[in-house]
Amino acid sequence: MAVLADKFVPNCRLTRTVWIAALGLTVALLLLPWVVKLDGRPHADWEQFLGRFHPLAVHIPIGLIVLVPVLELAGIQKPALREAAGFVLGLGFVGCLCALTLGYLLAYGSGDMGAAVTRHMWGGIGLTIGVLLCLLARPWWLSGSVSRVYPAMLTSVLLVLAWAAHQGGSLTHGSNYLTAYMPAPMAHWLGVGAVRAKAPNPASFYAQHINSILDAKCVACHGEATMKGGLRVDSYERLMKGGQDGPVIVPGNPERSLLLVRVALPPDHRQFMPAEGKPPLNAEEIGWIRAWVQQGASPTVSTLTGISIRVEPKELPFEPVGDYSGLMPEIEQLEKGQGAKLTPVSAKSSDGLILNTVDVAGSFGDAQLRQFQKFAPYIVEAELGRTLVTNSSFDTLGRFTHLRALHLEGTSVTGDGLAKLAPLSQLTYLNLSGTKVTKAAVAPLDSMKNLRHLYLYNTPVQPAPAAEAMQPIARKAP
Amino acid sequence: MKQHPFCTDTEHGPTVMDLPIPAGLKQEWAALQTRRRFLGRTGKVLGWAALASLLGDRWLAEDARAASTNRPSGSAAGESLGLPHFAPKAKRAIYLFMSGGPPQMDMLDYKPNLRALYDKDIPDSVRGAQQLTGMTAGQARFPIAPSHWEFKRYGNTGTWVSDLLPYTGRMIDDLTIIKTTNTDAINHEPAIMLMNTGNMNPGKPCLGSWLAYGLGTMNDNLPTFMVLQSKVNSKENNQPVSSRLWSSGFLSSEYSGVGLRSAGDPVLYLSDPNGVDREVRRKMLDAVNEINRQTYEELGDPETNSRISQYEMAYRMQTSVPELADLSKEPQSTWDLYGPEAKEPGTFAYNCLLARRMAERGVRFTQVYKRGWDVHGNVTGVLPMLCQETDRACYALVTDLKQRGLLDDTLVIWAGEFGRTVYSQGGLTKDNYGRDHHPRCFTTWMAGGGVRPGITYGETDEYSYNVVKDPVHVRDFNATLLHCLGIDHNKLTYKFQGLDQKLTGPTPASLVPGLLA
Repeated sequence: MAVLADKFVPNCRLTRTVWIAALGLTVALLLLPWVVKLDGRPHADWEQFLGRFHPLAVHIPIGLIVLVPVLELAGIQKPALREAAGFVLGLGFVGCLCALTLGYLLAYGSGDMGAAVTRHMWGGIGLTIGVLLCLLARPWWLSGSVSRVYPAMLTSVLLVLAWAAHQGGSLTHGSNYLTAYMPAPMAHWLGVGAVRAKAPNPASFYAQHINSILDAKCVACHGEATMKGGLRVDSYERLMKGGQDGPVIVPGNPERSLLLVRVALPPDHRQFMPAEGKPPLNAEEIGWIRAWVQQGASPTVSTLTGISIRVEPKELPFEPVGDYSGLMPEIEQLEKGQGAKLTPVSAKSSDGLILNTVDVAGSFGDAQLRQFQKFAPYIVEAELGRTLVTNSSFDTLGRFTHLRALHLEGTSVTGDGLAKLAPLSQLTYLNLSGTKVTKAAVAPLDSMKNLRHLYLYNTPVQPAPAAEAMQPIARKAP
Repeated sequence: MKQHPFCTDTEHGPTVMDLPIPAGLKQEWAALQTRRRFLGRTGKVLGWAALASLLGDRWLAEDARAASTNRPSGSAAGESLGLPHFAPKAKRAIYLFMSGGPPQMDMLDYKPNLRALYDKDIPDSVRGAQQLTGMTAGQARFPIAPSHWEFKRYGNTGTWVSDLLPYTGRMIDDLTIIKTTNTDAINHEPAIMLMNTGNMNPGKPCLGSWLAYGLGTMNDNLPTFMVLQSKVNSKENNQPVSSRLWSSGFLSSEYSGVGLRSAGDPVLYLSDPNGVDREVRRKMLDAVNEINRQTYEELGDPETNSRISQYEMAYRMQTSVPELADLSKEPQSTWDLYGPEAKEPGTFAYNCLLARRMAERGVRFTQVYKRGWDVHGNVTGVLPMLCQETDRACYALVTDLKQRGLLDDTLVIWAGEFGRTVYSQGGLTKDNYGRDHHPRCFTTWMAGGGVRPGITYGETDEYSYNVVKDPVHVRDFNATLLHCLGIDHNKLTYKFQGLDQKLTGPTPASLVPGLLA
C-alpha cells in the first residue's frame, strides 16, 4: 500500500509515516477486544462514569460522517464545501476514536456483555477503521488518479454506521423497539415480531407469570442481546444458571435468591434492580416470584398455594366512532334549539358523544330523540332517564348502533319493543329501573351477549326489597 | 392629537378595544385590567396591539373578522381544556368526609394480636423519632389499647369488620379498602386541608373545585360541586369545618362548592320573599346583571363575570333545589334502606340520600361532611354513636346507587384526614380509652366506577402504626381519584404564582394501579 501511495501522492516521507501509523492503529483496534477482554464483571467506577458519556459523544461523529457525502456532493457546485469535507471527515475520525474509547470504558466498566454488545463494539471498531481508510483514500480521489475507491469506501462507511447505530439503539431501547408498533402487514412482510418459542409447559406458573414478568422488566438488560453481569433470564435454564455472582434463584429459599433480594431493595439503593430508573417490579409481581421460589421454583407446576391470580374479564374492545367534526355546526344548532346536549366522552373524539338530557328531561320525548338520530353513529351513551320517551323510541334507539350505555330509568317505557335493541352489539349497560317493564318484555334481552349490566330495580321484574332483608349477615369466624 | 393605543382613558379617543385585533385578545385585554392579571399576562396583548399600530388597521382587520366569527366557547369548561384526558370510568363522585380522624383499628384494620398486649408500652422502635401532638407528647407512658370490639368476617372476601359496622360488613365485597393511606400532617387543620386541596396551607383549590374547573357541569340547574354538612351531635368531639375546604382557591370562584344547610332552608335567601314573584325576581336580576356587565367592561375583573353566573345559577336553583330536597315522593323502600333518621333533615343519613338524588340529577361532585370523629377520650362511649350514625347510611348509599345502576359510573369515597394512635391518650382502663391523632396510616375506602371491588390494599404493622406494604400517600390517593374520573393528575394544571399548580402538588405523586378496576 505504501508503494502505491508513493506513486500517486507527493510528499512521500510524510505519507509513509502516516500509512504506518494508520496500519498500527488499525491492528491495535482489531486486537483490542482480545487484549482488554469484556468479562461481564464490573470494574472501576471512574470507567463507568466516563463511559456513561458514550451515548452523548457517539452522536458527534455520526453527525459529522453523515455530513461528509453531503459536502462532497455540494462541492460539485461550490468547491469550498469540498475543501471542508476533508476537515469534517478528519473531525469525524477523532470523534469516532473518542466515542469508541468511551464506549469501551462503558462496556468494560459496567460489565456488559452479550451478542448485541459485541456486535455494537465491532460496528464501532469497523466504523473507525473505515473512516480512517476514507481519510487516507481521499487525496487520491481528489487528485483524480483513483476515482472509485473513496466513494465506494464512503458508502460502506455509511452502511456500517447505520448498522452499528442500530445495534447501539437496540442496546438502550430493546431489540424490538422499532418493530413493536410496526403496522401488522409491514411486520408480516418483513417477517419480524414473530412469537417467541413457548416454554415446555405453557400452562405452568413459570410460563404464565414468572417468565412474562421477567420478560417485561428484566430481559432488556439480561437477555440475549445484553447480558449485564453475565446473567440471562429469558429462559428457565438460563435463569436457574445465574450470572457472575452465582445463582440468582435458590429453590425453596427466597432470602438467598439474589434476584428477589435485589428487586426488593429500596428503590434508591445502589444495588436495586431494575437499575437505571427502568420500571420496577410491583409488590404483586415480587409476591408471585417469592411464592414461586418458596415452593420450589419449578418450571412445570401450574398452581401455587396461597396465590390466586385474578383473571381480568376481557374488556369489550369498543368500536371507535368516526369523525364528527364536520357535523359540529349542525349539532350546535340542534343543542341550542332543544336544550339537550351532546358532550364528548373524552378529549379523544373517537371515544364518541354522550346524549345528555338532564336539563330538559321534562320536555324531551320521542320526537326530540328522533332529531338526534342523524348523529346516532357518534353517540355511545344516551341518558334518557326521567324523560318523556316511550316505547315508540325503541325504533329510533335500534339505529344507535354505537350505543354502549342506555339510561331509561324512571321513564314510561313498558318494554314493548325492547327486542328492537337487539342489533346494538356494543350495548353493555341498560337501565330500566323504576319503569313498568315486565318479565316477558325483558326476555328478548337475554340474546344480547354483551349486555352485562341490566338494571331492573323497582320494576315488576324486581320489586324493591322488603325491610327485613336489610339485616346484616356476618360470616362465622373460622 | 391622536391618542396612543395603549391608553385606557375612555373619554379620549381610541383605545386597545378599538384596534382591529382579534376579539379574544380584546377580552384578554379587559381581563388584564386587574393588577394580578396584568402582571401575569400583558405580553401577548401588548404585542398584538403594538403590531396593530405598526401595520395600520387594514392588515389585521381580516384577522379580527375571522376571529370574531369563531364560535364562542359556550360549551362546558372541560371541552376547551381537553378533558377528560381519557374515557373515564366514573362521571361523578360522592365524597363522605369523616372529619376528626376515625380510629382505624376499631373499625376496619383488624389487629387481633393487640389483645395480648393490653396496657404494655408500645415499643420505641415502632414510634421512632416521631413528633407527637401536644396532647400526648407529655405522657409518661404509651400503653397499648386493643380495640374494645369484636371483629367478624363478612362477604365472599372474608374481610374482618368490627361489630360497630354491621352494615359496612354487608357491602364489604363492593368496597376497595385502603389500609395504608398516610398523610404528612398530625393536626386537624393542616391534615384536612392536605386531604382536600393537596396542600396544608389554605389558598389552593379543593378536589371538587378542580373537578368543576376541569370537567365542567353535567346539569345547568344545579351547581357542579355541592357540599352537605351533617348535623352536629354535641356528645361528640366536633372539630370545625370551614368553607376553606370547598374553596376554589386561585381558580374562579364559580368553581367553589355550594353548601346546603343542615337545617331550615337548604340555601338561605334562595326563596323569594313575600310579595316578590319569579317575574319580579327575573327583572331585578336582569337589571343587576346589566350593572355588573358595565362594571366588567369598566374594570375587567373576571370575578364580576363569576358573580353574574352565580346570580343566574341561584335563580335556576330556586326551582331545582326544592325539587332536589323534596323527599315526599321517595317510596317506603328508601326509608327501609336508609333508616328512619334519613327523614330528619341534616342527619348524615338524610345527606346520603340527598347525595344519591344529586348523583341522579347530574351533580358532578358531592361532598358530605360528618364531624365528631376526633375521639381523644371515651372511645367506647362515643364511637358507637358515630358508627351508628354513619354505618347504615354509607351502606344505604352504596347499595342504593348499585341497585339503581348508578354505581357503575359514580365513585364513592369514604375518608377522614388521618387515623388514630394504638396507644391510649389519657388513662387506659378495661372499659375505656382515648386515641390521639395518627398520620402514618389510616383506613379509607372507595366504591364504584373505576376502582377494583372486594380488595383490601396495603398492610400495616401489628400495631396499626406503620405501613408495612404498599403505602398510599394522600397525593397518590388523589391522583387515583382523578384517574377514575378520566383525569391525568399531572395534566390538570393551572398557572398561578409562576407554577403549573395541580391538586397533587409539586412533589411527584403516583397513581395506585392496584386500586383500579
